[in-house]
Amino acid sequence: MAESLDFEFKHESCKRAVLLFHGMTGSPFEMKKLGKALFEADFDVFCYCLPGHGTSPISIKTVRWEDWYIDSTSHYRALSKAYDEVYLGGLCMGAVLALAIASEYSDVKGILSLSTTLFLDGWTIPWYNFLMPMGLHTILRYYYSFPEREPYGLKNEVLRKKIAALQKKNTVALDNYPMSCIYELLKMSRAAQKNMYKVKSPVLLMHAKEDDLTSPKSAEFVYKNISSNIREYIELENSYHLVVMDNERDFVFAKCIEFLNKISQYAPREVALC
Amino acid sequence: MLNEVGKIIAHFPNSLLAIILTNVILIAGFVFGKLLLYKFENKVKFMSLFTVFISVVMVAYFISIIWFSLSNLYNGNAVYAAMFPIFLFLPFIIGHFASYEKIQYYTNVQILTLVISLLLAFSFI
Repeated sequence: MAESLDFEFKHESCKRAVLLFHGMTGSPFEMKKLGKALFEADFDVFCYCLPGHGTSPISIKTVRWEDWYIDSTSHYRALSKAYDEVYLGGLCMGAVLALAIASEYSDVKGILSLSTTLFLDGWTIPWYNFLMPMGLHTILRYYYSFPEREPYGLKNEVLRKKIAALQKKNTVALDNYPMSCIYELLKMSRAAQKNMYKVKSPVLLMHAKEDDLTSPKSAEFVYKNISSNIREYIELENSYHLVVMDNERDFVFAKCIEFLNKISQYAPREVALC
Repeated sequence: MLNEVGKIIAHFPNSLLAIILTNVILIAGFVFGKLLLYKFENKVKFMSLFTVFISVVMVAYFISIIWFSLSNLYNGNAVYAAMFPIFLFLPFIIGHFASYEKIQYYTNVQILTLVISLLLAFSFI
């Protein structure tokens, strides 16, 4: 994964930007289609590889959740100086990151929280999950990797084959979740849960009913515990975890754009009137 | 000779035997992990199964420590009863401070604590 997968889609003199965060062991590749859709809807879009991602499988084992948080907030701060409105969007761990940032920065204009991963309780979590504390809290976490397996977060079988092939090459994402990375994600999730009540920005939650990695319980937790006046929760019927790539991706993109336009001062007029 | 050893072992309390057995497996497992971690790092499935196995043995080790401590408490050996539960917490304390960069060092510390608990168990004999 030596080639940079970061992307920036910019218009001339645009006043609103969306900062996207990819998921655990993923890369900006998985957010690219959503990025393009948002760009076409008159948003400038930015997505960068989180620390430990996009370089080598080793570096993800050395990373701490604070590294993800510090790196993401620095991107957010840079964008908030350049744009009137900055929105955050994330998938899986990226959604947790977006919510964590919004709990600290009340000027975040809105959040797209997709497949939020606060709990690892999806249906592909292996039967020996009850041993997780033993693996997480001892040195075993540096030995264990949770192998990525069918369905690779995708209900769409054609896409699943393509992604599986790409993952085997480790070109766009890792083919496993190192336990140390899960440990950091769960630590970040706990910190985010504690501060969830501080989130006051509008939030759109989208979660697949049959999410293979994390059940809708995570999204429901967020929906119940944030303090935002504007909050929407949409449950997807025909997708798994990677909602931005799966069967309902066009619906997801449309809902994201509709939500952001609804809360944006710079929305195209006909959209705002709707 | 083997018969003699067998007779001696037969007199050991079951909880002590469980501690010795799980300890030896864990030491062997961690030594194996330490020496071959880098060789097998890309074999995710193998490493997963190996870690699940070690986790199961670790659970058995914890159970045997509790069992051994309770039976010692029941028999009036307060020192053993109080000493062994320390080993319940050590893997988590070591895990708390461990990092990937220093995994070899922390694995050595983990092995050392297991050896100490094994020696303590033997001192009971």
